[in-house]
Amino acid sequence: MRIPAAARPAPLIELRRVYKYYQMGDERIAALRGISLRIQPGEFAAIWGPSGSGKSTLCNLVGLLDTPSSGTVHLEGQDVTTLADDRRSEVRNRAIGFVFQGFNLIPVLSALENVMLPLQIAGTSASLARLRALERLGEVGLAPHTAHRPAKLSGGQQQRVAIARALVADPVLVIADEPTANLDSENAANIIDLMRQLNEEHGTTFIFSTHDQRLLERVGRQVLMRDGEIADERTLEQPKTSQVATLRP
Amino acid sequence: MMTWIKLAARNLFRNRRRSLFTILAIGLGFAAVNALGGFTAYIFTSLEDGYIYGQANGHLTIFKEGFLHEGKLDPTRYLLDEADMAVINEVVHAHPEVLIATPQLHISGLLSNGQVSTVFIAAGRVPSEVRAINGYSRGMTGKIKLFTGKQLEDAIVFGAGLSKGLAEQLKLELDATAVAMAPTVSGQINALDAQVLQFFDAPVEALEDKLMLVTLKFAQSLYDTTSVDRLTVLLQDDAQTESMRALLAREFAARGLKLEIKTWNELSTFYTKVKQMFDVIFLFTFLIVFTIVVMSVINTVGMAIMERTREIGTLRALGFKRRGIIGLFASESMLLGLAGSLLGVALTLITWSGIKLLQPTWMPPQITRRVPLEIYLVPSYMLYSVLLLVSLSLIAASLPARKAARMEIVGALGHV
Ligand SMILES: Nc1ncnc2c1ncn2[C@@H]1O[C@H](COP(=O)(O)OP(=O)(O)OP(=O)(O)O)[C@@H](O)[C@H]1O
Ligand SMILES: [Mg+2]
Repeated sequence: MRIPAAARPAPLIELRRVYKYYQMGDERIAALRGISLRIQPGEFAAIWGPSGSGKSTLCNLVGLLDTPSSGTVHLEGQDVTTLADDRRSEVRNRAIGFVFQGFNLIPVLSALENVMLPLQIAGTSASLARLRALERLGEVGLAPHTAHRPAKLSGGQQQRVAIARALVADPVLVIADEPTANLDSENAANIIDLMRQLNEEHGTTFIFSTHDQRLLERVGRQVLMRDGEIADERTLEQPKTSQVATLRP
Repeated sequence: MMTWIKLAARNLFRNRRRSLFTILAIGLGFAAVNALGGFTAYIFTSLEDGYIYGQANGHLTIFKEGFLHEGKLDPTRYLLDEADMAVINEVVHAHPEVLIATPQLHISGLLSNGQVSTVFIAAGRVPSEVRAINGYSRGMTGKIKLFTGKQLEDAIVFGAGLSKGLAEQLKLELDATAVAMAPTVSGQINALDAQVLQFFDAPVEALEDKLMLVTLKFAQSLYDTTSVDRLTVLLQDDAQTESMRALLAREFAARGLKLEIKTWNELSTFYTKVKQMFDVIFLFTFLIVFTIVVMSVINTVGMAIMERTREIGTLRALGFKRRGIIGLFASESMLLGLAGSLLGVALTLITWSGIKLLQPTWMPPQITRRVPLEIYLVPSYMLYSVLLLVSLSLIAASLPARKAARMEIVGALGHV
């Protein structure tokens, strides 16, 4: 059954025939070959696939960290492909949260100060930023560690701080490129669970990449990448149950 | 704002040793420039004092127009006679800024010991007024006794001082009598006995075997005239020099007098030369310091950027704009500049008080006695140094910081 266009919710992210090439000496590497993809608001999407398949490249384009060689990227209906650098910074600051593989906390700032950072970049007063950051740190279970510098925290704790930081400015989208690659499997599962929980509580859209199939359990939307193309896509109806997705790359 | 300054400050503590070396380089550079500047200020002040008060040349010297150019060829034409002097004195003394105005007549001729004779040039002055000018000296310079023997006196008209070289040439001892010969203004040869009261060092090497000091009356008697060739004017304050020159010039012109007024620094070639030399030394020191500061700041910031590339990528991902990145590194180097300047102020003060405490002495050129070595504290130099070093640090940092701001975010994030 086809759903009429007007009835479908507007996509949060829309990629249209996106190509990304990298020049390596004389060689031109196609990291993405004509990707078209829509992510709806509130989705919890996993991008997975073998190493070199283009997961990071895709995340970077969606996160406005990079621009495609051709094709367009729309965020909330707006074409953001050719925005000027300052505008892209503003959009990232306001609308997108980032979680990185290597946590990427600022080592000279405490957990609390790290979480306050996106708000302070936006010009929010320190007192308000502090309040909201404390709230987020509470949500990720780090209330007792707010004053600690990242070096004093475990990998799992650091990634929780990073998640709090990604969410503090109430973005519409959180992008997490391999957020669990530096964690042991238990911590990895916990982090995915935490993100899933926040996705459900706040309705924030999450896109995360991984090559760990075990983490796809309980993930609603699965995008399989291979050689810069989307090899398979699957949307599970009841992701909250302990249904196990078994896509084979 | 405070957040970013705090972030910048904490970043400086990440590599303490590197930051410390940069701060040290800036601080030492600051102290070097300011100590040299303070020493230079002392030298300039001493030379100025020496010229104005020590040698009693005053701030302004008034000549008949043309005297400085053609006076040597035809001295009598450019003398100021009694009528001129009456008007000049009236004009000059109407101003409370004028402390002392004293006439001079410079003469030249032959000085003989009875067997041999040699050329001399002499300033004929009023000894009491010369001493009065000496007395106004602010520093040591006016109080240092620059001669051996007795001082000249108004009453001892035929008393004279000889530069040591001149005395040696004629083998004249103190209290000996010599004969000074010169043509009078009307062209006859005249001779007068002079009693040697003192020996002194000529302020210029070239005059060491020629210079003589006589009373004005002696000079006038030898030239057989009642005229003088210049009037030396001492003012209350150096700062009045230029304005008083202009004012007096207008008033003289209004009285129909064709006069020429020179300031002390125009006449003191030695001062000008020393000043030029010190200016060059100062410039060199400054350039060295400038280079060291710029290089070490560029190095520090460049290294920091390399080490923190991934962090720059992270900040950009979180929404930092390019100018935010530049601002962050600019703040870091500004803090380096400030800390360095503070250290520099401290080092300058330590040097200054050390010299105050130890009171070293030295023998400056052209002076044959040891005098205390001093360094002045010049707050304006320090203020300019702080401003300059901080802005230098900012500018130096902006080069690598700009490059950092232009880095591709993805590339920076992938940097390990
Ligand atoms: N900066 C770059 N320069 C050149 N080639 C690049 C660059 N970045 C990515 N590539 C290439 O683009 C392709 C896709 O890379 P990408 O990093 O997106 O893969 P990935 O799926 O994230 O891999 P991994 O699981 O290892 O992280 C790869 O072939 C990679 O070598
Ligand atoms: Mg990747």
